[in-house]
Formats: sequence, C-alpha cells, structure tokens
Amino acid sequence: MLKNYITVAFRNLMKHKGFSFINVLGLSIGLTCCMLISLYIYHEYSYDSYHAKGERLYQLGAVFNNEGELEHRATVPSALAVALQQEFPEIEESARLLSLFRDDKTLLQYQESGENVKSFYESKGYVADPSLFKLLAYNFIEGDPATALQNPNTVVVTEEIAEKLFGEESALNKTIRISSNTNGDGDYTITGVFRPHNVPSHIDARFLLSPRGGGLENFFLNSTTLLNNNMFFTYFLLKEGSDAQQLEKKLPAFVERHMGEELKNRGSDRQLFLTNIEDIHLASEIEGNVTPAGSLTYIRILASIAVLTLLIACINFMNLSTSRSSKRSREVGVRKVLGAERSFLIWQFLGESLIMALVAFIFAIVLAVVFLPVFEQLSGRDIILSFQQHGFLLGVYFLLAIITGFIAGSYPAFYLSSFKPVQVLKGRFSSSLSVVSLRKGLVIFQFVISVVLIIASVIISNQMSYLRSKDLGFIKDQQIVIPLRSETAKSSYASLKAQLNSHTSIRSVGGSLNYPGISNPTDWLMYKEGSSAQNAESVVITHVDDSFLQTLGLKAVAGRLFSPDFPADTNNHIILNEKGVAEFGFPSAEEAVGSWVAFDWEGEQYRFDIVGVVNDFHFKDLRVPIQPFGFLLVNAPIYNYLIAHVNQGNMGQTLQVIEERWNALNPNEPFEYSFLDQDFQKNYEAESRLAGMIRYFTIIAILISCLGLFGLATFSAEQRIKEIGIRKVLGASVSSLVALLSKDFLKLVVVSVVLASPIAWYIMHEWLQTFAYRVDISWQVFALTTFLAVMIALVTVSFQAIKAALTNPVKNLRTE
Amino acid sequence: MIQLQNIFKWYNTANRPTFILKDVSLTIDEGAFLSIMGPSGSGKTTLLNIMGMLDQPSEGSYHFMGQDVFNLKEKQRKELYKQYIGFVFQAYHLLDELTVYENIETPLLYQGVKSAERKAMVGDMLDRFRIVGKKDLFPSQLSGGQQQLVGVVRALISKPKLILADEPTGNLNSTQGEEIMQLFQQLNKEEGVTIVQVTHSEKNAAFGNRIIQLLDGQVQD
Ligand SMILES: Nc1ncnc2c1ncn2[C@@H]1O[C@H](COP(=O)(O)OP(=O)(O)OP(=O)(O)O)[C@@H](O)[C@H]1O
Ligand SMILES: [Mg+2]
Repeated sequence: MLKNYITVAFRNLMKHKGFSFINVLGLSIGLTCCMLISLYIYHEYSYDSYHAKGERLYQLGAVFNNEGELEHRATVPSALAVALQQEFPEIEESARLLSLFRDDKTLLQYQESGENVKSFYESKGYVADPSLFKLLAYNFIEGDPATALQNPNTVVVTEEIAEKLFGEESALNKTIRISSNTNGDGDYTITGVFRPHNVPSHIDARFLLSPRGGGLENFFLNSTTLLNNNMFFTYFLLKEGSDAQQLEKKLPAFVERHMGEELKNRGSDRQLFLTNIEDIHLASEIEGNVTPAGSLTYIRILASIAVLTLLIACINFMNLSTSRSSKRSREVGVRKVLGAERSFLIWQFLGESLIMALVAFIFAIVLAVVFLPVFEQLSGRDIILSFQQHGFLLGVYFLLAIITGFIAGSYPAFYLSSFKPVQVLKGRFSSSLSVVSLRKGLVIFQFVISVVLIIASVIISNQMSYLRSKDLGFIKDQQIVIPLRSETAKSSYASLKAQLNSHTSIRSVGGSLNYPGISNPTDWLMYKEGSSAQNAESVVITHVDDSFLQTLGLKAVAGRLFSPDFPADTNNHIILNEKGVAEFGFPSAEEAVGSWVAFDWEGEQYRFDIVGVVNDFHFKDLRVPIQPFGFLLVNAPIYNYLIAHVNQGNMGQTLQVIEERWNALNPNEPFEYSFLDQDFQKNYEAESRLAGMIRYFTIIAILISCLGLFGLATFSAEQRIKEIGIRKVLGASVSSLVALLSKDFLKLVVVSVVLASPIAWYIMHEWLQTFAYRVDISWQVFALTTFLAVMIALVTVSFQAIKAALTNPVKNLRTE
Repeated sequence: MIQLQNIFKWYNTANRPTFILKDVSLTIDEGAFLSIMGPSGSGKTTLLNIMGMLDQPSEGSYHFMGQDVFNLKEKQRKELYKQYIGFVFQAYHLLDELTVYENIETPLLYQGVKSAERKAMVGDMLDRFRIVGKKDLFPSQLSGGQQQLVGVVRALISKPKLILADEPTGNLNSTQGEEIMQLFQQLNKEEGVTIVQVTHSEKNAAFGNRIIQLLDGQVQD
C-alpha cells in the first residue's frame, strides 16, 4: 500500500512538472527562510547557556529614576557588590567587571628580543575581579583561572591574542605593555590564556586586566559610594538552594537602609534587581549592558517573517491543488468506485504533499548551507554549532518539513477526498463557490503579506537614507579621525597637528576627548548664574582644543568659538549649544554670553564663564533628541582623537601623508584612522541589518507569492482555453483577452493593497517612533507600492494570458 | 439478488421537484444478464448508480443479497459493495497515472489483500485475458477496446457477484463492442456472474437474457 502511495505520488509529481516545480521551489525557499531564521533565533537564545553554575549566576542591575522616566541599567557602583555580599548570606561570591569605557581600542605591545616591538590594537578590554573566573566558565588553555588576575598588573588574554603576540610560544608569564585611555599605560604579566566557547556570551572580553596595578585601581577597589560611579557590571553566585526572587524582595529594604537618606536629599530613588545570566542577552529593557542586548522585537519580526514565507508557500500548494481539483476529481471518483475509503484517499493526497515537502526539505538544507554565510553577514552573527546541535536541528527541521507537508496538504486532501463518484464521474466538474472564494481569500492573504513587506521596505529605506543624509549641524564628511591611544601618541599631538596643518590638502586639525557619534560618558549637572543645584540641568561635556570647533564647522550664533586667536582662554570657559541656552532659561544666546554656569562638588562651586553659543548639532544618533551640550577647553595633551578636515580630492594621497607623519612621530604604533561620517553611521547598524533582512525577505515573499499567482494564472488560462478560442473566433482582440484573463487577479491584488496599507502604516508608524528625527509616511509610499504590486502581478499573470490569447483558436476548439 | 421497491428519485430544481425515477420496482435474480434500455435522460444511469450503492434514492427500499441496503451503516454498506459489486463505465475511467497492472491491482489494495496473493490474482487475470504483454503500459498507450477490456478485468479482479456496466460499449466500434459483450456472456454463463448493463444498442441488449425499457423514470414492461 505504502509503495503504491509513493509511486502514484511520484508519478503525479513528474506528470505535472509545472505544478511540482512551483510547489517544491516555494516550499524549499520557505523552509530555507525558516531554517536560517531559526538558526539566528536559536543562536540568540543560546547566549551564556554553557556556565556550569548558570542557574545560580545573576547580574545586578539598577533602576534609575531620570526625571520620572525609569531607566534599567546594568551598571552599578563598585561598592555595591561588597556591601550586598556582606549583608546577604545567600550570596556565595561576587565578581565585578569594568569595561575600558574610554577605549574603542587599546594598544598592546610586546618587546621581542632585540629592538623589535610587536604592536597592535585590540578591542574589548575589561578590568575584572579575579573571582570572575570562579563564577563564569572560562576555558583556560594556559594558566590557572583560580589565581589569574590576583596579582597586580596581570592580564588574561584570548588564545587569538596570545597567538598574535607569541605565535606558537607559550604566552604564560610574558610581559606586555598595554596603553589604555581608561586605565593608563603599564606593563602586564600574562597569567592566563583562554579559548572562547562556541556558544556565545554577553561578555565578549578579549583581554581582562587585574584591578590592581592599573590607573583604575582606586576607583575599582576603594570607592565607597553606593550611588555614584555607576560603571560596574556586577555578578553574583547565589548559594545552592537560595532563591533569587526572595533575595530580590529584600533589596528595597537594603537600598532604604544604606542610601535612603541621600536619595531623599536628591529627591531621587533607586531600585536594584537581578537578572539570571542566561536571560541577560535578551533582556533588552536593560540599557548599557556589556554587549548590546539582542532584540526580542527583531526576533519576533524575523520569526513572523519565517512563518509567513512558509505559509505563503503552503498557500501556493493549497491553491494550486484545489484549482487542479477538476483534474483530480475523476481519479477520486474512480478510486471510490473501486472501493477506496475516504481515509485512504486522504492519506494518498497527504502523501503527495509530504513527499513534496520532503523533496523541498532536501533542497532547503542545501540552500540553507549555501546561504548561511550571506545570512550571517546580514544578521551580523556568527552562527557556530556543535555536532550534537546539528543533529538536533536537523531533526527539528525534518519535523518542520513534515508539519509543513501536513499544513499544505490537509485542506486539499480533505477537499479532494470529499468528491462523490456519482457527481464527478458524470462529466464536467465545477469547483464550488466556497472553494473559489477561499482560494481568492488565500491569494489576498499572500499579497497582503507581500504588500506590507514592500511598504515596510520602502519606509525603512526612506528612513535609512534620511539618517544618512540629514544635516547634523556640523560637517561630517571629509573628516578623518585618528585615535591617540598611548601617552606617546597623545604627547605627539601638537607636533602632528602642526605638521598636518602645513599640508595643503588638510584644511583644519582639531583635538578632543570625544567626537559626535561615539558614546560620551561625561555629563554634569549644572545650573546658571542666579540659580542653584536644585534646578540643575544635565549637560553633556566634551573637552576640546582651540581648533576642534572650527574643524567640525560649528558656527557661533553668539559670542565666539575657542580659537588660537584667544590664547588667554582658560579651562573655566564654556561654549554651550542653543539647546543648552534654552534649557537653562537664558532669554537669548546673546544674553547667555558673559554669564556663567556652574556645578557643586563636595560643597564647592565650580564656575564656567560662557564665552560663546554654537548652533545645535547631533552629537548622538538621530534616535535621541538634541540635549544641552557644553565644550570645555583643555590645553594639556590628553586628547583621545585628532580630527583632520581634509579637502575633497585624492583621499588616498592625503592618508598616505598623514601616515608618514604619524610613523615618524610614533614609530612603535600602527597608524589607524576612521571616517567620522562612517563612525556616525555605525549607530544604525541594527537598523541597517533589519532593513537588509526585510529587503531580502520581501523579495522572497513576493517571489513565492508570484510563483503561486503564476501557477493559478496558467491554470485558469488552460481551463478557459475553449472560451478564449470562441471569443477569438468571434473577433475579440488580443488585448481584450489579456484584460479578461488578468482582470480577476488584478482585482485581488488591489484588494490586498487596500487591506495591507493600514496594517503597514500602523507597524511602520510604531517603528518610526523609535527615532526622534524621522521621515513622514507620505501617500507616495502607498502609491508607489500599489504601482509596484500591480505591475508585479500584471507581469506574472499577463505572461500566461498573452500566451493563451495568441494561440490559434482552431487548435483549441478542435481538442476537447 | 436485487430487490428494488417503489424507488423514487427527484431533484429540487427551481423549488419544484423534478422526478428522475418514479416508483421503480425491480427484482433481479442471481445469474441474470439484464439489459436496461431507454432514451437519453430517462434515468438509466441513476438507476444503475442506486443499484451500485453510489447514489441514494429519495424514497423506496433496496434489498441486496437479503440485506436492507439503506438501513445499513455506511461501513457495512461499503463492505457489501466491495465484496460483491464491480463497475464498468462507458468512459473506461482507468487511472491515467497507473499501468495496466496497477489499475487491475487497485481494488485489491483497497480490500487489504496481501501482496503475494495480489500478485497471483492479477497474474491469473492477465493470463486469462491474454494481456500480459500490456501490463506495463499506461492507459493512454492502449486502444479504446483494450482500455475497456482492462476496465472489465479490473471490475472482475475482486470476484464480484454483480457487474454493473453503464454503456460499456458506448465509445467502442462494433467489433470491439461485440468482444466485450461476448466476454460478459461468457462470464454470465460460465461463472454465474450477475450482469446489469445499460445500452442503447438493440443488438448488444440481446446478449442478455432480459431487457427492460425505462421511459421517463418508469419501467415499461
Ligand atoms: N444533480 C442533478 N440535478 C438535477 N437533475 C439531475 C441531476 N443529475 C441528473 N439529473 C437529471 O436526471 C435525469 C436522468 O439522468 P441519467 O443520467 O440517469 O439519464 P440516462 O438515462 O443515463 O441518460 P443517458 O442515456 O444520456 O446517459 C436527466 O434528465 C438529468 O438531467
Ligand atoms: Mg447515462
């Protein structure tokens, strides 16, 4: 019996090649999407799932009350770990982690025998308590996790860094020089080398420094504040059998006991909470974690897209099967006359869809393997799986294929098997009205999905190009950023600047601790002349040299900029932006100049005279509104970045000039640079990824939908071939016949556009709310989409219609 | 074998019942070879389908081999049908995707006959009707007469006691038709298979041993 099912199914598939091709192709693509997306989701959920003590590991977080807005953050003061561990016996052990927050990269150098210095930049450096390796599972291939980082000036590095530094040689006990903007420069002994796990972790550390010995030692180990310096990631290992929720309930009382009074004085409050280590990666409500959290929203969007593409493919199968039913009805009738039970027939039809799904499954596996690298790039995740995981996933996908086969096949199977022999054997068969309307409904459903995706793609594209092209209030193009990472580099700033300034292709050079587009951790609570600390405004602060503002092209709307023309400027002069002037409540920019703003620290007032006001500019990405901003002048060589505004022209040559000058001044440090506009754009990486993925999946969804539409059009043209012949004989023109055949399908597409537009509008409106600066959703988007959808459908459908309309009518009328 | 009593069949067209069969009563004994004749639209196919349990009358009772067919459960009726009845059609109705061999085998599959037994039974039949050479061909590769022969063989494979044939020779030329008629006659005489056929041909009707005329849904004796 089974053999018979399979042979018949295969013969049917082979006989109706077009039908099978459309379905297998659609299902393969749908399954491939599901596989790739589920890999991504699986990856997102596997973060930190490998820690042996995983269920007992928690990260401490704090809720800040920012003028009524609650902010969950992953960073807390360093002393909290100690205080909590002392007070609560449930906590067995704690570990703190501090990111080298001012380093986008850190300079690592190794003095080889002789004069040769090996040096390169590394990112992802941290300062960590030695106990971190007791809590979290680190795979040490050299050194002892129990004692590493206990001694001052010790460092643990990844296998990759060790190899870069020492090749095959053992790295243990070798000394390297580490120059950090955050932790200062110093010599460190390597006490451990680890190999990162295959399973991802929210801690992406590539090297970890001991707290003792570095510039941050005091800050890390001896700070006593329980409210300020919220910079430390804190992990707890709870005692076996203790309950995190119970512990969490005791935290408000702890906050009250230790910080209550101070919080009351500040008119603020604070809550503490715990997050299990396995949940950290997807806890996207927590801001500023070690690595950016994965987004549940994106996971949901992708999962829906995966399910929807597969559903579109299933609908193709359903629609093509039922539209073919007149062909299959006779077979059903005969088989029933020959004694077939309905259940036999149901299984026969299901068998066909299952075989189709399994063939598609095999193709999908191949496609998934082929497209995985592309997808990894698109999603920005390296998906590495162990052998067991492969086996498990293969099993899951097989099951998915079977389920797909059932979903696609069940409706046609029940429908086809319900035919009564007396009716279908009599001769001509016509689909019942309900089946036809269901078919139309399903086509509309497919196109609603496609149209929503088209609209989403168009709006996302619009927003992305808006983000790229919006005037940021400063010159972002032709700006080369050169990081100064070691003391040597920093102290060479003045000479480098002088040399570059003398070069014709370089317009201006400035230095600063920070530049627009990268994170800036400094903000001060300041108040204006005549006011007090109670009415303080938060002002983001950046220290710059006397030509930085000109280099960025910022304009003074009142007063003046810092400049070499005012050598008497001191570091208690400030330049505010217009927003700052407005927030402080100055009546005008002109009146702000000459006044002062100040902050209080330990009972003392620190005053800054306003010498100028600059236009508002975006120092952060366009998701957030412009905030008050203040530039302070600093003349000591502590700048982290040199920014060179260069003329348009030969960029390569200019870069070469800069590199030569750099190498002459800093022989032991590789030359590195980036472009300011690109750095700024990096803030939208998640959005560009989403945009990329949605673009691809839109194309896929349209492709599968059109495959189905093409199949239906082919079928309807076949069925109406006689009618077309008669009409042609009666004198109908080709165009009128094409219109006749295409009209019904186009109507469905138009209905889809009408249904999809409000859905898409709503979704995209919500998405745009995440940007403070955004495009409007214009009617043109919908007009364009309607045009696109209709054109795509027309091309798909009219191909068959034209073919049918052009055939010689005599031929069609003779047959039948 | 077949006892039809006061069979009525009507359809509701435009809210008025149109009668297809009007009070048909008919008894067919085991071993009979009955030919039903009548003009087009007189209800011959409808009557045959009711006998074959493919269709239900609007009124009346039907006893087949002593069982009250329309008071049986669906399942029992199917069993009865599978065991005793074979159908032959004017349009042959072979399954296009199946070879001759597989077409003949199909009813056995539905009856749950074991594989080895099936092989033997189909082999026997192929031998007996001298179509072994055609067993791997598909219906489209056969002539009309050959197709109908396969149709008859397929109806015979499950050793039915009753064969219902709706214009079995309607699509065949006279020689092909005659061959099928002779085959029916032989089955009827030598194996005692009861045969009921619908035909428009006086000559073919004469192969049987009883003829009834259907006119406007009524039997004219
Ligand atoms: N589903 C239906 N609804 C309405 N009328 C029907 C239906 N099926 C059959 N009829 C009518 O019943 C009548 C008898 O049909 P039937 O097929 O039994 O005729 P027949 O004697 O076999 O004719 P022919 O010799 O042409 O095959 C016809 O007039 C037909 O129009
Ligand atoms: Mg008839």
